[in-house]
Amino acid sequence: METILQLTINGLLLGGIYSLIAIGLTLIFGVVRIINFAQGEFLMIGMFATFWIFSLLKIDPYLALFIFTPLLFLLGMGTERVIIKPIQNAPPIAQIFSTFGLSIVLQNGALMLWKSDYRSLETSYSNAVISWAGLMINVPRLVAFSVAVGIVIFLYLFLQRTYLGKAMSAVAQDRDAAQLMGVDISKVYMLAFGLGIGLEGLAGALIMPIYATYPTVGFTFGLIAFVVVVLGGLGNMIGAFLGGLVIGLVESFSGFYISPELNTAIYFLIFVLVLIIRPQGLMGAVGAQEMGLK
Amino acid sequence: MKNGNGSNLRWVILLAIAAILLVYPLIVRNPFYVHLFIMVFFYAFLAVGWNIVGGFAGQLSLGHTVFYGIGAYSSTLLFIHLGVSPWLGMFAGGILASLTSVVIGVPCFRLHGPFFAMSTLALGEVFRILATYWRDLTQGTMGISIPVKFGWKNFIFEEKAVFYYVILAFTVVALGISHWIHRSRFGSNLVALREDEEAAESLGINVPRNKLWAMMISAFLVALGGTFSAQYILFIDPDAEFSVGLSLMIAIFPILGGIGTVWGPVIGAVVLVPLQEFLRAWLGSSLHGLHLFIYGGLLIIAVTFLPRGILDWVQALGRKALPFLFPTPALEKPAHPRPDHFLAWSWLGQKGSSDGPILEVSDLGKNFGGLAAIRQVSFEVRRGEIVGLIGPNGAGKTTLFNVISGFYPPDGGAVLYHGEAISSLHSAYRICRRGMGRTFQLVKPFQNISVLENVMTGAFLRGKTQAAARDDSLEILELVGLYELKSTLGKSLTIADRKRLELARALATRPDLLLLDEIMAGLTPKETDEAIQLIRKVRDRGITVLVIEHVMQAVMQLSDRIVILHHGEKIGEGPPREVAADEKVIKAYLGEEYVIT
Amino acid sequence: MREVSLKAEEGKIASIVGGNGAGKTTTIRTLSGLLKPSSGAIRFLAQDVTLFPPHRRVELGMIQIPEARRLFPYMTVSGNLDMGSYTARARKEKEKVRKEIFDLFPVLQERKNQMAHTLSGGEQQMLAIGRGLMARPTLLMLDEPSLGLAPIVVRMIFQTVLRINAQGITILLVEQNVKQCLEISNQSYVLENGRVVLHGTGGEVLKNEHLRKAYLGL
Repeated sequence: METILQLTINGLLLGGIYSLIAIGLTLIFGVVRIINFAQGEFLMIGMFATFWIFSLLKIDPYLALFIFTPLLFLLGMGTERVIIKPIQNAPPIAQIFSTFGLSIVLQNGALMLWKSDYRSLETSYSNAVISWAGLMINVPRLVAFSVAVGIVIFLYLFLQRTYLGKAMSAVAQDRDAAQLMGVDISKVYMLAFGLGIGLEGLAGALIMPIYATYPTVGFTFGLIAFVVVVLGGLGNMIGAFLGGLVIGLVESFSGFYISPELNTAIYFLIFVLVLIIRPQGLMGAVGAQEMGLK
Repeated sequence: MKNGNGSNLRWVILLAIAAILLVYPLIVRNPFYVHLFIMVFFYAFLAVGWNIVGGFAGQLSLGHTVFYGIGAYSSTLLFIHLGVSPWLGMFAGGILASLTSVVIGVPCFRLHGPFFAMSTLALGEVFRILATYWRDLTQGTMGISIPVKFGWKNFIFEEKAVFYYVILAFTVVALGISHWIHRSRFGSNLVALREDEEAAESLGINVPRNKLWAMMISAFLVALGGTFSAQYILFIDPDAEFSVGLSLMIAIFPILGGIGTVWGPVIGAVVLVPLQEFLRAWLGSSLHGLHLFIYGGLLIIAVTFLPRGILDWVQALGRKALPFLFPTPALEKPAHPRPDHFLAWSWLGQKGSSDGPILEVSDLGKNFGGLAAIRQVSFEVRRGEIVGLIGPNGAGKTTLFNVISGFYPPDGGAVLYHGEAISSLHSAYRICRRGMGRTFQLVKPFQNISVLENVMTGAFLRGKTQAAARDDSLEILELVGLYELKSTLGKSLTIADRKRLELARALATRPDLLLLDEIMAGLTPKETDEAIQLIRKVRDRGITVLVIEHVMQAVMQLSDRIVILHHGEKIGEGPPREVAADEKVIKAYLGEEYVIT
Repeated sequence: MREVSLKAEEGKIASIVGGNGAGKTTTIRTLSGLLKPSSGAIRFLAQDVTLFPPHRRVELGMIQIPEARRLFPYMTVSGNLDMGSYTARARKEKEKVRKEIFDLFPVLQERKNQMAHTLSGGEQQMLAIGRGLMARPTLLMLDEPSLGLAPIVVRMIFQTVLRINAQGITILLVEQNVKQCLEISNQSYVLENGRVVLHGTGGEVLKNEHLRKAYLGL
């Protein structure tokens, strides 16, 4: 019984991390309607940036996130202007291969700069553990989980209460109608994309105390993010959060009962199954017609 | 003629290149340069294989590395554990890859665009992980070394030159297959489904099955490449055989060179692979990943600015600079069409008995999310009639068409075509094959192919060879007045011509019942008159026509009988004059009592 | 669309009528900037807005109430109204206009926290109009507001249009429901296959034989 509880705790905490990584992706899809194949690579950039600033300047990741979240936000906006905007109305081949190409560029750029070695950092709290009711709770993971919850709440409020957020929500629900309200959708796309990428910067800093980084780390996390997003329903924030928790739990349990190595294989299979059986995921609805950012 | 000389010159150049390629390794002794050409042909081979499903069929797979890996591991494991010659193992690998592609394709082809791409990417990863995990079988990340025993049976050669000829042969065969597909009915089907799946279905094309065949052939070829690579390098491991980089590379060569063309993948490989190999030789392993970095960048640039690839761009430039070298496409022998010749419309009068309506709709209903789009609609269409279907916006007319032609299953009632209940067929393509043709309200010309090729996609249903399909198509083009534009690309047509094209394409499937959805919308009065004449001509040949129309003058002139829908129900039917005077109709359209004075 | 020329005079009601596929919605979408014209120009209050993106035209006061309402389905009535006052200009008077709209359509106040997609057809149309008014229009363009609505509701809609016009807002009305529309129009344009085939005052057009022909073909 204790094992199951521990596995559940581990799974939920892991799920929080996955949600954090996936939220940016679902936001971008919901508003800009592009599947960003390079989403994971921006996480990788966030991780490496956090690593280097810690190694060279001894700046703690939890501080670094205040630097890199805005920086990646700007990077995201730049990417939107340069890469995404030109292919907004292009056929699928351009939309797929453009961001896929970007993903490869970033992965290999990192490879050339930093080689394929695994880099990790250790802070005073990296291995800190809270003991609660006989269960072990890893502190950095708990922090990441808490931030994930915080982000979901923040985004919910942002999308509901601020004009910019409402504009994004409107664009996600009905592009044309939003324009007729006076929304400058070009600007909204840029900001939404920037926000989605900024969130990866945040996530990157938060998970550096937990994971090692290497050039292709974004590929794995990126694929996981997709699984989460599809499971939760594209464009749906709450769905991304819940989807992340589900995947975290699956990984935790299957890792224990089956084999940790097969984790990835298992949830990719879930991914393909979800896409086929219930493409709208747990909560959302796929497709241009019924997109709601909740 | 100018083109004649150009054509000869092209052959001379091609033969010269072929000759050089054949003697190349005998002349050039430096192993690096032989290796270079081996790499070029190797990637060209893989690219040609990918292009069949990615280019012709337009299914952008990012997971072809799965098949490559299956090929490499199959032949290697059979060789090492069972002593089976890699030549046989290669075919075994190919077949296994084909079967796997079906297992992958059946579920994944239900997805489109980026979702399909993502799922193939994910599956590539799954296979890599599985290969790593099943150590007993694959030695995991340690990899498998193939013992160096030279000999033809072992598919291991001391002389690089032999590998060169082998891969050259592979590439030639692959190009042959690609070329054959390009000119065949299968290839035409693939292009149609790539451009617009719904339109392809309406032309009698079994879209899922064609996609699967393309996938199977593609997987087979790529698997062969996996075996070749294993035999050339004599070492395999999961990261090399199931790598995302490979999936990227075999896609970028066709994209850069010209996706969906026969030679595009080769051109892409010829341009890029030497660069890659030189970089690798020059920098060694110091800048690992540089070539992929560059490829990624090129890919972004290519799809953003050069969507049709280098081949097209060069051809466009070349046409200006050296016109004789690049003849304009579609040089058919001038046909002498006699409109009456069109197959003597001989398929008409063969289907079923002449009495009894050709189409019977009874109590048909269709709901969308609780709302009845059409409800209890009943009418019949007799052979040789032109029946007009009218009704205000939202009356349910197009829904009715979609149910009749098999695009939506009905929620009640039945459709009888030639007395056969077709509503249970669940597939538009089968209904088309039985003789029902249709056009779409928002016309769907196949954008990236010529008018003639557009019509041929329909003609291939009946005329199985390219020559037969082409002849049929040319005659139909003459009938509808598009003969002069036969080489124009679909996307360059005016709206009136697009409508003509849509009609021509539907006619090419030799229908005996034609459903026309708002074919007059957007036409000038003159064009409308021409359309009316054309439809009359079609009817006079024996084809029954059911039209949805809003251009009231046209539909009143054209129709023998009118059926009116309003809010999903039939509110009247009869000859045009009667219907126009019917109070219910006037009310439905003009919203109020608006009686004629 | 080919060669459509029309004028909406300030403070008046102009209308565009015609059968399906005549080009009415295309015209309105082009006026709003959702579609680009191949040729010709659009002038609003003596400014050439032909190249302006949609949001700039909205800022100037050209507001469209789209065909089939196009409400934001997953926003409440309140939320939709808020979106209506998105532009800086409209935001200033948000509270005041909201009150006016609730006066005009009391049922919206009742349902203000309900999701837009749960409203009835008539209520949705009221919300759409209300949302349009939140944007402080100088020109209000309505695309087939009567579509799919019961006759009594349609009557109410047209009366509302008159009331809005009485406040000085110029109206451009696109309709299939000819009679009621023409009865309230100062100027009317009949479109057929992308061309203006007839225009005149509402009364003139209503009596014209060609109108019947355009609709019924005989």
